[in-house]
Amino acid sequence: MVGEPMSIELDRIHFSYGQVKALNGVSLRIHGGAIGLLGPNGAGKSTLLKIMLGFLAPDQGSGKVLGYDIKSEQKLIRQAVGYMPEDECYIPGLDAVSFTAYLGELSGMPRQEAMKRAHEVLFYVGLGEARYRLVDTYSSGMRQRLKLAQALVHDPKLLFLDEPTSNLDPSGRQEILELIGEIASVRGISVLLSSHILSDIEAICDQVVILNRGEVAASGSLADLKMVNYRLYELKVKGELDGFRRELEAKACRLEETEDKIIKIFTPPDFDSMEIFRAAARHKLQVRQFVPSQTSLEELFARVVGVD
Amino acid sequence: MTTIREKGYHHWDGQFKENFRPSWPIMRAGIKLAFQRKKFKPLFAASFIPAFAYAAGIYISERLEDFKSMGSGLEKFLQINPAFFKSYLTLDFTYFMILLLMSVGGAGLIADDFRHKAIQLYFARPLEKKDYLLGKAGVVAFFVGCLTLLPALILFILKLLFSGSFRLLVEYPWLILSIILFSALVMLFFTAFVLLCSSLTNNRNQAIALMFSLYFLSSILSGVLFLIFRSPYALLLSLKVNLDQVAAGFFLVKPSHDLPWYLSFLVLLAFAAFSYFLVRKKVRSVEVIK
Repeated sequence: MVGEPMSIELDRIHFSYGQVKALNGVSLRIHGGAIGLLGPNGAGKSTLLKIMLGFLAPDQGSGKVLGYDIKSEQKLIRQAVGYMPEDECYIPGLDAVSFTAYLGELSGMPRQEAMKRAHEVLFYVGLGEARYRLVDTYSSGMRQRLKLAQALVHDPKLLFLDEPTSNLDPSGRQEILELIGEIASVRGISVLLSSHILSDIEAICDQVVILNRGEVAASGSLADLKMVNYRLYELKVKGELDGFRRELEAKACRLEETEDKIIKIFTPPDFDSMEIFRAAARHKLQVRQFVPSQTSLEELFARVVGVD
Repeated sequence: MTTIREKGYHHWDGQFKENFRPSWPIMRAGIKLAFQRKKFKPLFAASFIPAFAYAAGIYISERLEDFKSMGSGLEKFLQINPAFFKSYLTLDFTYFMILLLMSVGGAGLIADDFRHKAIQLYFARPLEKKDYLLGKAGVVAFFVGCLTLLPALILFILKLLFSGSFRLLVEYPWLILSIILFSALVMLFFTAFVLLCSSLTNNRNQAIALMFSLYFLSSILSGVLFLIFRSPYALLLSLKVNLDQVAAGFFLVKPSHDLPWYLSFLVLLAFAAFSYFLVRKKVRSVEVIK
């Protein structure tokens, strides 16, 4: 990657909708691959995507997408980026192949090549047999695939996918995720995936950006973030838990008890795990099992965003 | 549904167009979609009936001796002069057919994009608002041009051919320019009118209702105000009267109403400008460009 422009490079981006601050000094440096964009509702994900596509001009800050300036080279960005919106959107009256070719043409592709390419991408997303059907007659799942096809038709270097698995049944969801995973890993197209379905992001992305209240709460490789932000231990204990819980929570740990009586302890990264044993001893708890555990993205998200 | 990946993904090795005009594919798609709609083709064909009647009139005007049996006064009625072209370009039937055609093929131009949230698909491409609006405007202008400019020019050429001389051109050297300019004004007016109605709602049926009611109510309202105040200026509210008045000015014919034609011209230009700003604002609110 050395020498290649960053896929996304943002420097202290601020944006407000009137009095409401949507983004507050967002800075990012992302090379490529599959990147998950996470955040609760109102965190600024969609605003950030719109700024990167040039739909919105930031109040302050600067940035580049694929080396193109987000303030002055929006057209070049949109030519190099594929965007799959969250909303169910289509142009009525067109069949899928005309629809996809039309949007390819609007990207600047020659007409005949756009048509040829439309056939290819429709087969790729699994709509090959239905490509001459009017898009008005498509099911929600088919329209979701169609949105992916139109985002791919001009062979973008970077894909912005906004909730790509919404409206899909479990098998359709799995197929789309596999497809996106392949696009990112094998086809060399960087993918920025905005989703509230954490398992989707965990399945595909090797990097995540977590936005919270218009700020980057965490960003980096998923594996590193899990390590850096907190550690997780799973315990089985015998005895009264209240005092033990209070002491550890006073030391910035978080305790959860599962249905099968396993205690999950999330500790700060620099927390000495021996403190857990000392606290247990002080509160006369018998530790019967102690396992350093794998953390999930859900746990990371909850921790970073500060929700249960 | 077929399974995914029947065919693999291949990178595209082509080149993007250098001097790329995105409004052109938008216009082409709009025209294609209009022709795909039910009843559009027969309506479009029926819209040319006056053109054929006027063409027949031009033919008869050059063969009056052969058509004497049709009655006297034919000569007076079939004088091919600027008034003849003015009457063709201000026919109520043609304007009604334009409205009818645009209700089928034009009302949804922007309304459908709003309804199906397609605006974001457009603006995720390297195009600007002016490209989008120009493409949509091109669709309306194409059909209005087909019913006004094109037949009027053909009628002019037919007159030259049937008469076998350039007398019309010599007597009225400015006539061809008047035909082009007035047709352009009619195209501009109807383009602004249709796009305005289409952008005010996300429901094409409402846009159709708006088109007909605005057009005809403007005439009814101006008529009522004229009866009340007895002032010809009340007629400036009527879109049709304004078109008639401007046509009289462009073709150097006595206007039907006691009003300076340039006032009507200004009213139509103001209407087009107002429509443009409103349409631009409506599209902006969806595009969310700050």
